[in-house]
Amino acid sequence: MVAVTPTVGAKGVKDKGSDVLKLGKPFRFGIIGLVAVFFLVPILASARYSFLGNNNTFTISAYTELFGTNEFWSTLFLSVKIGLGTVFLTLALLIPTVIWVNLRLPHLRRVFEAISLLPLVVPSVVITLGVITSYKHLPNLIIGTPVILALEYVVLALPYSYRTFDSAVQSLDLKTLVEAGQSLGSGWGKLLRFVLLPNLRSGLFGAAVLTFAYCIGEFAVASLLSFTTFPVFLVQVGQTAASQAVALSLIALLFTWIPLAVIVIIFAQRRNRAAAIDAVDPLEAGVQV
Amino acid sequence: MSTVLSPTSDQGTGGNGVVVASSGSSRRRPRRGRWHNSIGTVPFLVYLALFLGVPAISVIVTAFVNGSGHPTLSNFNEAVHGVYLQSFVASLKLSFGAAIISTVVGLLAALAVCSSSNRILRAIVTAGSGVFANTGGVPLAFSFVATVGNFGLITKLLSDAGFNPYNHGFSLYSVLGLTIVYQYFLIPLMILIMIPPIDALRKEWVDASSSLGATRTQFWRWVGIPLLLPPILAAFIVLFTDSFAAYATAEALTSGTIPLVPIQLGSLISGNVLAGQTNLGDALGAGMIFIVVVAGGLYIYVQRKASRWLR
Repeated sequence: MVAVTPTVGAKGVKDKGSDVLKLGKPFRFGIIGLVAVFFLVPILASARYSFLGNNNTFTISAYTELFGTNEFWSTLFLSVKIGLGTVFLTLALLIPTVIWVNLRLPHLRRVFEAISLLPLVVPSVVITLGVITSYKHLPNLIIGTPVILALEYVVLALPYSYRTFDSAVQSLDLKTLVEAGQSLGSGWGKLLRFVLLPNLRSGLFGAAVLTFAYCIGEFAVASLLSFTTFPVFLVQVGQTAASQAVALSLIALLFTWIPLAVIVIIFAQRRNRAAAIDAVDPLEAGVQV
Repeated sequence: MSTVLSPTSDQGTGGNGVVVASSGSSRRRPRRGRWHNSIGTVPFLVYLALFLGVPAISVIVTAFVNGSGHPTLSNFNEAVHGVYLQSFVASLKLSFGAAIISTVVGLLAALAVCSSSNRILRAIVTAGSGVFANTGGVPLAFSFVATVGNFGLITKLLSDAGFNPYNHGFSLYSVLGLTIVYQYFLIPLMILIMIPPIDALRKEWVDASSSLGATRTQFWRWVGIPLLLPPILAAFIVLFTDSFAAYATAEALTSGTIPLVPIQLGSLISGNVLAGQTNLGDALGAGMIFIVVVAGGLYIYVQRKASRWLR
């Protein structure tokens, strides 16, 4: 399918920069500067807003009042619980499936990748409606508790988790590893624990972080099914105390950016090593909640 | 995570054969090997069928029946009139506008990054885009309240300079406001999408055309634009669907007052249903699925064209 060929000569061109493609320096700095300003100003504005007291005084009350409320901690805890549950379910589903597909059905790898993208076709609001209409008769233990959120988040985050894990599995020489392990007499359990999973650590980590970040930030499904998760609480705060909501948003943004930055950097390094042309595909990137 | 789940141990679980037959089909394999080879993917496919297939199909089916279960098209009739028609128009406007702006800005930024030989700049932009493209939802809404909301930083600076945008028809809580907010995740996504095709462009064709003595205009007219057009169109479709389906940011900013399809659907789900509108929500949902499927079809078509050149 995809030829993983190191791109010979590409480096040389990159260093020189090419004459036809060269954009004027002022233009280059202008556009990048403008974009940078657009991305930095909301962060600075949020910081200012959250520290602004009455009559332009400096105050940290937005932060202290928030941490003092029970709801802050209980909703955060709920979201973390849902996130961990979703990550566990996702990995339990992905590890056997992706390894199986790559080992036994390599000619269907693209088909399964396409299947994993199907959740993008159904907007999360529509899925919520479908869950309400089709599963209203399920036992209350599932439909009436946040369990249903975790079950649906596995599906909604699948376009990102599947591709991340699949690309990690692909970069392994799966067949050789499995055959070597089996010829040394290890069963599947041992193979997974001592050979495959340790080699797939970064893929597992990437899929887990993306899934967790999705769960922590997801608003549509949770609010429409009337569960007060962290983002739902955030919107409730925003209706009465704007500066607290801004403070909370700033914290939430920073806390999702840090782990995301870590995996972006890890995967950028891996991709450089592999230099696969198949990076043309855009859906690797965006998680919209 | 040392989950001790082995592919072979899954053989017992969820043995629903129907799913395998429909999706795991491979024409290249002999018939007997088929079943045996696909069995490990059954749990995954059953899971998707249960939590994606069943809800999606139930929405589409329900859209075609009335409250007492008889087939009808009246739900769709309702969905393309009055406030619901307006919301489809507003949603399409928002998604088109937001996608066009981010396509242009993101493309220029990607070109600027690719033509720079500064590796650090490139690394920062790529990593930053990867992070910002995943930023969305509620926190994004509030950080823009702090920026261009009624009491936001930019609003204040502009009013101090004698131009309060809110006195000149601007509002953050409108389609225009949302168009600006959505740029925060759309532009980085565009940059991420466009860097690989631009890089591929420079490798062979740029060298070939410069050694043949092409000027910059000639290069763009005959080589650059024709080559980049398919990936740009594909990216545009991704950005379009991304903003079309987005719910959280708009809901958090406008508390459900702006007429957009996802928002209207959300308020129908939350129970603001008038008499005689029982399955109207399903018709809106089916309409959204239809638009996304059309966009997806276009995407696949354009992506095929693009990949023919980039392989």
